[in-house]
Amino acid sequence: MILPTNPMAEPVLELDRLSRRRAGRPAVQNLSLSLSSGQVLGLLGVNGAGKSTTLSMIAGAMRPDSGHIKLNGTDFVEHPELARRLIGWLPERAPLWPELTASEHLDAHGQLRGLAGAALRQAREAIIERLELQPLAHRLAGVLSQGQRQRLGLACALLHRPALLVLDEPANALDPVQVAALRALIREQSAAGTAVILSTHLLAEVTAVCDRVAILHEGTLRHDGIVHADDHAALEKTFFEVAMHGTQRPAHAA
Amino acid sequence: MSLLAVTRLEWRRLLVRPLAWVLAALTLAWLAWNFTLLLGGFLAGQIQNAARADGPGFTDLVGVPLLGQLAQLAFLVVPLLSMSVIAGDRRNGTLPLLFAAGVPASRIVLGKYLAVLAWLLLWLVLTLAMPLALAHATHLDWGKLAAASLGIALMLAALAALGVACSAFASHPAIAAAAGLILGLALWSVNLGAQMAGINGGAVNWLAMSSHLQPLLRGLVSSTDLVWFVLLIVLALALATRRLGADRERG
Repeated sequence: MILPTNPMAEPVLELDRLSRRRAGRPAVQNLSLSLSSGQVLGLLGVNGAGKSTTLSMIAGAMRPDSGHIKLNGTDFVEHPELARRLIGWLPERAPLWPELTASEHLDAHGQLRGLAGAALRQAREAIIERLELQPLAHRLAGVLSQGQRQRLGLACALLHRPALLVLDEPANALDPVQVAALRALIREQSAAGTAVILSTHLLAEVTAVCDRVAILHEGTLRHDGIVHADDHAALEKTFFEVAMHGTQRPAHAA
Repeated sequence: MSLLAVTRLEWRRLLVRPLAWVLAALTLAWLAWNFTLLLGGFLAGQIQNAARADGPGFTDLVGVPLLGQLAQLAFLVVPLLSMSVIAGDRRNGTLPLLFAAGVPASRIVLGKYLAVLAWLLLWLVLTLAMPLALAHATHLDWGKLAAASLGIALMLAALAALGVACSAFASHPAIAAAAGLILGLALWSVNLGAQMAGINGGAVNWLAMSSHLQPLLRGLVSSTDLVWFVLLIVLALALATRRLGADRERG
């Protein structure tokens, strides 16, 4: 299913010529794109294309070397505290504190994001119920399976109802039932007006839930377009052209 | 708000970590055993001491020596307690979660430091409870005990700051613990060579922690000693903040 895109909507996120070097080489170069509320953007690219670096900068965990990130029109690099309210981030491999229970994780994330008292309790209970985390609520994170860790990480990202949800390979280690539940959750968030950026290696993930797809190659944006749910083959062709040749070939050359 | 959230998170992590409980149980048992030995010695010499006009009292023979024993244990306990506060987060990959919550590096460091400090002050209070439990039955020199307690509290605060700084610079908690232990001992005894050579003043003596703690244990509170501890705490926390800020820049 493709969700409607509203090109007139105020962008929640604007990246303007974002650049970042890592380990002495450019990881992201002059990346510019924007995302409106309710849009779901799939971020594709081969390993080392710059996806996780881009998402870390958007989430506020890493500062760009140059360029601007605007959240609801405000420069986020200058005001990193904006991340507290507006962004929910699920990093790759869902890092957790092994000595804390799932419930304590939600409390800690809520407090870090400015929730307290009854508001925190309500948000915690709601997300536990929505993601069916009741059996895990009092288990230590250190003993959870990778799939359970992903679900808990997702719950932490969603707890404070962010305007922008940043998901780095969220379907990793999930079983097919959990993948279907994740897709339903992303659609639900999108319908509620949350902008979502989803980094993945799975093209099927993009055609299933994304409105738009951006393909990165060697840290630069090589493709930004609408996703057609019924045309998986076209996306696959575009992806491989970018991955193999660094650019999309003209139609007559294909 | 974010400072309190970090402190709460770190406090919770300390409380559920078996190491903190094992350290508390073992050291308090050791201190309680030593308290009974010191008390036994005090009771045995009580008549002789009472006969002397300037004879040592309960505070000199039990209270302050007990705090001295706690100070010795602190060189091992504090690095073990503080080793994971930042190095553990770095290993778990959870440090970026704090950055992404918009918490400045200074508040991350301060929040974690306050949690460790709260645990250490609780440890000090439980130790002090032993001599204080006999306050109604003996004569306590409150001023001397307060000065000694202040000295030990400052020493714990300084070692905790050093431990947090080591944890910020180390890639593994065990390295942070070893560095904290070595730096703590080095800072304590940096003037040992000078003292053996008969030099009792100068910059090397000023650098040593022992030069600033011992007057406090004798009941002498001087602003120079207090400033030394405060400077060490501020310097260690500033270094930790700088390192964490660099981590955020590096990504």
